[in-house]
Amino acid sequence: MRMTKIYEGAYQWIMLGRDEHKPEKIIDTNQYMVRTANRCLLIDPGGIELFAPMLAAVLHHAPVEEITDLFASHQDPDIISSLGLWDQALPNAKLHASALWEGFLRHFGCETIEYVPIPDHGGVINLGSTELQIVPAHYLHASANFHIYDPHAKILMSGDVGAALEAPAMPVFVENFDMHVEKMRYFHQRWMPSNQAKRAWIDRVRKLDIDILAPQHGRMFKGDDVKRFLDWFEALQVGIAV
Amino acid sequence: MQVNQTKSQFVAVASIAAELSAVMEVAKEISLAAANAKAIAFRAGEKAKGFQPITDFINELAKDTIELVNNINEYAFHLYRLTVNEQRMTEACRRFEKVGQLAVGARYADSLNAPLQQVRQRNQVCHREFIIQVSELLIKLADVMHPARAARVIAANSRIEASQAGEYLQSLQAVAESVDNAAQIINDKVHKCRSALTIINVAE
Ligand SMILES: [Fe+2]
Ligand SMILES: [Fe+2]
Repeated sequence: MRMTKIYEGAYQWIMLGRDEHKPEKIIDTNQYMVRTANRCLLIDPGGIELFAPMLAAVLHHAPVEEITDLFASHQDPDIISSLGLWDQALPNAKLHASALWEGFLRHFGCETIEYVPIPDHGGVINLGSTELQIVPAHYLHASANFHIYDPHAKILMSGDVGAALEAPAMPVFVENFDMHVEKMRYFHQRWMPSNQAKRAWIDRVRKLDIDILAPQHGRMFKGDDVKRFLDWFEALQVGIAV
Repeated sequence: MQVNQTKSQFVAVASIAAELSAVMEVAKEISLAAANAKAIAFRAGEKAKGFQPITDFINELAKDTIELVNNINEYAFHLYRLTVNEQRMTEACRRFEKVGQLAVGARYADSLNAPLQQVRQRNQVCHREFIIQVSELLIKLADVMHPARAARVIAANSRIEASQAGEYLQSLQAVAESVDNAAQIINDKVHKCRSALTIINVAE
């Protein structure tokens, strides 16, 4: 599992991904970790196949008892099917996920971990020394869907929004936006169901100060590419399967 | 090995559940046959006098079997829950050990030791409980054999009584026949349950 530090301040953001041991047929994912002095949040910790490399990587930064928070942007297996294993590994953890998905996510096994249901309008994740915002992104693509915004680090973790499918071991940041567009187009047109939801999200996100847009698949967007992405996504017709 | 073991437990528990619901169906058939026999014996009056108490007895046996099976179903469900838990713990052990291999040299690798120990322990507790429940279930299954065996004896008696019943001979013999068949089927099903459970014990 490759680890890339994307923010360093009083705490750190680390992107984990491009795992070279990943079985070929499962989709490649990016996981994110926010590490403070004594706590650790894992954002979209990943599928069951990724659990071992993921935890092994996290153990370079934090002991299990300090992994106190998990966040699931939505209910997909590539996001959180590892829940049942985290549930056995983490003695003091909470899972922040949509209230709507609770009855579904519990199928993965959630007995030790406390399920903190997020209401539709979002909320915050308090990590003691810092606080992150939970931003609604419903219908993008799941009916209950959230992103994480960190106003200090200026990072928006955007779940499947901004995702791209490409060959393994690609760089972690977009280098040429125009060339990157083709790797995102079909994914967004097919997976995102609603132009209305897309517009609402863009309006909301345009008000945020963002340095890095960090999706769950593919490459992150930095600096001007964030605005380029928002403009491109705004113009894109989605929900094309009907 | 451990993974295959929980797999065979799932199969065993599922086949027990299937056999038990078949036993339930057959027990209901017996109780229907008893009601039927009662009606015939009533019509036959004096000629089937000896047959009447037998019909009540058959009915009792059917009721006992249904009750026992209901009780056993709870055990089977408990076994299923235990198997699910054990499977989860086994899977967790396997994945945690994998983490241990991958995390060699990681600063906090040792912090996983406590959860790993805990999962191993829980796994053992689950498995021990499973074994206990299986042996209790085997005893309960032996209990179901009793009414089935008694039913066969009664069926034999019924045949004798039926021979006194003149023109009702055939219908009463048919009743005796169906009780005998049903008891035989219950016997077979319960045997299947027992051998499914024994396979697990052997896998131990
Ligand atoms: Fe998804
Ligand atoms: Fe995804």
